[in-house]
Amino acid sequence: MSPDLENEDLERRLHGALEAVDPGERFVPGVLARIAAEPAHAQRPPRAAAVVSWLAFGLAASVVVAVLLAHEWQLRRIEEGREARRQLVEALRVTDEKLNLAYRAVNTQQQAAPAEHSGA
Amino acid sequence: MKVSSSMWRWLLGPVAALGASVALAAPPARLVLPDFEDLAAKATESVNISLDTALLGLAAGFLDSSDPEDAATKELIGGLKGIYVRSYTFGADFAYPSAQVDLVRKQLAAPAWQRLLEVNSSREHTHVDIYVSVDRGVANGLAIIASEPREFTIVNIVGSIDLAKLHRLEGKFGVPKLALPQGNDGGKDDRQPDK
Amino acid sequence: MSGDEPCTSGELLTQALAGERAAFGALVRAHQRSVYSLALRMLSDRHAAEDLAQEVFLQLYHNLASVSSEAHLGFWLRKVTMHRAIDRLRRTPRYASAAPEEAAAAASDTEHADPMLERRLRSLVSELAPAARAVVLLRYQEDLDPVEIARTLKMPVNTVKSHLKRSLAQLRERMNETADALT
Repeated sequence: MSPDLENEDLERRLHGALEAVDPGERFVPGVLARIAAEPAHAQRPPRAAAVVSWLAFGLAASVVVAVLLAHEWQLRRIEEGREARRQLVEALRVTDEKLNLAYRAVNTQQQAAPAEHSGA
Repeated sequence: MKVSSSMWRWLLGPVAALGASVALAAPPARLVLPDFEDLAAKATESVNISLDTALLGLAAGFLDSSDPEDAATKELIGGLKGIYVRSYTFGADFAYPSAQVDLVRKQLAAPAWQRLLEVNSSREHTHVDIYVSVDRGVANGLAIIASEPREFTIVNIVGSIDLAKLHRLEGKFGVPKLALPQGNDGGKDDRQPDK
Repeated sequence: MSGDEPCTSGELLTQALAGERAAFGALVRAHQRSVYSLALRMLSDRHAAEDLAQEVFLQLYHNLASVSSEAHLGFWLRKVTMHRAIDRLRRTPRYASAAPEEAAAAASDTEHADPMLERRLRSLVSELAPAARAVVLLRYQEDLDPVEIARTLKMPVNTVKSHLKRSLAQLRERMNETADALT
């Protein structure tokens, strides 16, 4: 004997009914297992490992610093690349938008032309 | 009478056909764009993008080749040497002064630039100029100047770009698909304001 | 990963990109509910949904460099999940299955006012055509607005709004039929 559902009530119930559910504890291990099961060349290269040696401690420290700096550079490069990609997509979007603007303007002119001729 | 698809292809066709190979003489196709500081200060929104060859290469490296739209974008920009965009949105109609825009238009009066299209829509109060730069018979650049009541945009593309391919990516960049004649949704314009 | 403070998705992204598997695992954990639920409600099959959701994260793993930000990650995951689900629905015949209701009912909180009604709603949503179902899920599960839905599904905004309007009308009618049948 439910009353007819108004839209607002229906939307509220839809939000409740469609709340996201958990796939279970095995999901994340499952994903990682699939990654691990891929051929070695498809996996990402391991990070550079730090070299530890009591006898060459000074050299090891230099290597660690160099690796950290390289890592920082890599992270910065990744950010720059992402930003460049974002700007590229935006530039192409604006270009496409203005070309469409030109098309619409041409179209509008063509539509207006017969009306002018008939009124002459 | 609507513009037929053949006319639109006539506009795009010569540019696309001429753009088949990349010319080596880059400088004439690159416009000197002012900083437009005055415009930016008055604008409610501004877009200022300068992607030279190096940055385009970097951006291309972050496009996912397994994603169809990224792959199409990568192909589209393959012949580009640079893409420069200046776009400003204002809170009132025609709030932007024309003096700085005229500095850009003067460059387009050079012999290397040919006007491909000039269209004025009194209904929408818009004016769009599209120029192509030609060097030894090959198109090596594109310039678009678009004046709308509350938005002003300059786009300068250096290198060859296939406008037909760009058009096929329409809808992929957040611009809703328009019903242009080339195989889109049957002539209905889906773009309406959300308000 | 180090430190006691939880990392943002943006930090996890950067760490995952640098090869830290644990960071990627944390990213999966942060987004698994959304991806899995979309897949489940599109495919109406728990095992297929789990498989598809894992594939989505596998694809993410191989394309981390193309994800530019935390916001883009959410968009990317939803986009890939929905396109894969719609693609799979096109390729495989549709079986009527009670499994998604049971799975969803078992997993959802019982604090909701009317679990039976919500179960019925989920069942009706699973009977919508794929495109309409996708729009409804993105709207009511993911709380996206029509413009965001249009971008995700590469659909005109007005088409999204049409789907929403028609789907709500259809759902309301079917729910009222159910109510009438029970009286």
